[in-house]
Amino acid sequence: MDERDSMIGKLLDHYRIQAQIGQGGMGVVYRAHDEVLDRDVAVKVLATGTGEALGHDHLLREAQAASSLTHPNICTIYQVGKSGEEFYIVMELVEGQPLPALVGSTGLPFEVLARYGAQIADALAHAHDKGTLHRDLKGANILVTREGRVKILDFGLATRMGSELLSEVTRSYATLNTALVGTLPYMAPELLRGEPASQLTDIWSLGVTLYHAASGRYPFGGKTGFEISSAILSQPPAPLPASVPPGLAGVILRCLAKEPAQRFQRASEARSALETLQGATLAGREQPQADHRGPRRIVMRGIEHHNVREGDVLLLVGTTKGAFLLRSTPERKRWDVAGPYFHGHGVNAMVYDGRESRHRLWLATNSVLWGTFLRSSDDFGKSWTNPAEADVKFPAETGAALKNIWQLSLGEPTEPDVLYCGVEPAALFESRDAGESWSLVRGLYDHPHRPRWVPGNGGLMLHTILPRLSPAGRMYVALSAGGVYSSDDGMKTWTARNRGVRVTFMPEKYPEFGQCVHKIALHPARPERLFLQNHWGIYRSDDAGENWRDIANGVPSDFGFPVVIHPHDPDCVFVLPVESDEFRCTPDGQLRVYRTRNAGATWEPLSRGLPQQRAYETVLRDAMTTDELNPTGIYFGTRNGALYASRDDGRSWTRVVEGLPAVVCVKTIVVGRPRAARAPRAARTAAKHTKRPRAKHR
Amino acid sequence: MGIAIHIPGPLRTFTDGQTEVHLAASAGTVREALDQLGALYPGVRDRILTEQGALREHINIFVGNEDIRYTGGLLTLLPAGAVVTIVPAISGG
Repeated sequence: MDERDSMIGKLLDHYRIQAQIGQGGMGVVYRAHDEVLDRDVAVKVLATGTGEALGHDHLLREAQAASSLTHPNICTIYQVGKSGEEFYIVMELVEGQPLPALVGSTGLPFEVLARYGAQIADALAHAHDKGTLHRDLKGANILVTREGRVKILDFGLATRMGSELLSEVTRSYATLNTALVGTLPYMAPELLRGEPASQLTDIWSLGVTLYHAASGRYPFGGKTGFEISSAILSQPPAPLPASVPPGLAGVILRCLAKEPAQRFQRASEARSALETLQGATLAGREQPQADHRGPRRIVMRGIEHHNVREGDVLLLVGTTKGAFLLRSTPERKRWDVAGPYFHGHGVNAMVYDGRESRHRLWLATNSVLWGTFLRSSDDFGKSWTNPAEADVKFPAETGAALKNIWQLSLGEPTEPDVLYCGVEPAALFESRDAGESWSLVRGLYDHPHRPRWVPGNGGLMLHTILPRLSPAGRMYVALSAGGVYSSDDGMKTWTARNRGVRVTFMPEKYPEFGQCVHKIALHPARPERLFLQNHWGIYRSDDAGENWRDIANGVPSDFGFPVVIHPHDPDCVFVLPVESDEFRCTPDGQLRVYRTRNAGATWEPLSRGLPQQRAYETVLRDAMTTDELNPTGIYFGTRNGALYASRDDGRSWTRVVEGLPAVVCVKTIVVGRPRAARAPRAARTAAKHTKRPRAKHR
Repeated sequence: MGIAIHIPGPLRTFTDGQTEVHLAASAGTVREALDQLGALYPGVRDRILTEQGALREHINIFVGNEDIRYTGGLLTLLPAGAVVTIVPAISGG
């Protein structure tokens, strides 16, 4: 190496060689300064003869292909050149440690490994998409920066393993060609058999890399090259330590399937699996995984999943053709869109259960063909349950069959394992074990009114559930067309609460029940007061639903679907009028939200940022909501697939996304503990009256 | 001679990827065959039948070339060697 040291101080083209920073089979790596662009770079000067052995043209082609890769986890190649006899490659200077140096003898912590592994797999996926193989992925080629970012070196630069090199495998390990010493334990069996490198040999090498990082050992050991290659060809991997979680072990062993067809077929699949493990980490490993019915899981591939962090704001958007997750920071200026999840299935109900340190998304999928199923995800959408048996079933003696699930709601705060769903045909189901099992609420189903409830345009459905705020509180449900019902005794008995709500389509205008109520809402600070958007008519009750009075007071149409209360101001309410029962589009093609700040005494239109020409839109009953932050975010999605947001109480709106399928429901999540919101006086006062976290039961 | 059931793509996730499942024992009716299939591969049954045991509206089942809706529904008898095909209807929106 003495002659190499003489490189220091030399100029290779316009790169001033400064210091040797590493050496390997292919050559020596120097830190150098690019005197034209005035930046530090790494220059790999190939060992004398390497260029000749491989053919300069070949090496140049490989390096050029690799230099087209731009990825945060791939060390960028800037230039390939020849100066005199020196063949060299100029690349990004990465300050970091080789992965094996971090591993130690017992392996990396699981969370760290899942994070690094996902980055490695993502880099491979990117390179494979560009038609570039790594060919020599191994620990020594993976650097980890101080910030925890993985950088893979030497993409595509590995020698093609010629037969003359392979013959060396049979020599003693100590005398192996130096290039092979580090490489052999990572080589796939088919490479040892002389077959060409492929995406699947890279995936094998990924498996060895992960195995080593997880355990500090190689899956196929031996004292000589012969022993190692024999083990690779014919032995199963040595057992992983029991401390490696089964999910991670599964990913590693799948990469290490002897038969290439049994491995992940694409690096992106391995990435998804590793990201799922990451998500599981965030969501907490203490989650009960057991479900005695053993629901299979669906891992969502082909979706750019969000890596959700504490404090992130998410929008859950259910549409007629699948669900979408939108992610932003607490500033909520930019939104990343992921989805569709369950594309082709209608997703009419979604909810987030963050109680008891869960991070669980729930949604209901409805297929015209295969029926309706509840599914949950503990990793923000990367994988979902796929229950073998339907969760929500009508008992045999009812003779009824589930058509659709229209609402998912969390139970009261004192019962963190309680969930509700509202279904079609109109009924309420309850789970008392955090969604493991569900049962029909007979008190409501057996109500004498039920046989006389009639379906509205969307079917006979129970669409709104307002769980009680305290054990002594009143619970409400709303169904179309039946009206509002409440229970004060833990859902045993139910009373119709529709006095004063007009039914335009019946001969009797004020019946006890039969109202086609579209939505009701309640603010926890004013539990005795409810707002109601009816099939014609906007109403308020000041006595816990005993009596209702019309508060439409000048809105251009009192037909509409959603009604939403400002989370920090119980007097501030939003509605979205549509023109009529027949037309059901925004009046005059102008998309306008109407807001009252005095509980319905007066209303004002809000249109800034919303389309005011040919915007024939409909906003469905669950497609409008708010978040819990301050300033609060207000969101609504339309039947034409646009999603709008306001961060200034509705004064101005921006279009977050367009072109989605018809939006059915929108809900929000602030992940983890919301930042302490500086609530206005009304809400602070309210907080004294109730300890309840603000439930989203719209 | 047993019975062969053709499994449509979306349900193969529950049949370990198999496109065809063979039932060794003779199943008297389509319903019994579906019960056996569901016992072997949980997940299939609730996607074909409602909780009340009725065939889902947009799922068709053929025995040979005959749609069972015209041959006695789920009580259609299966001859030995019958080929049962589960066909999702061409519908959507």
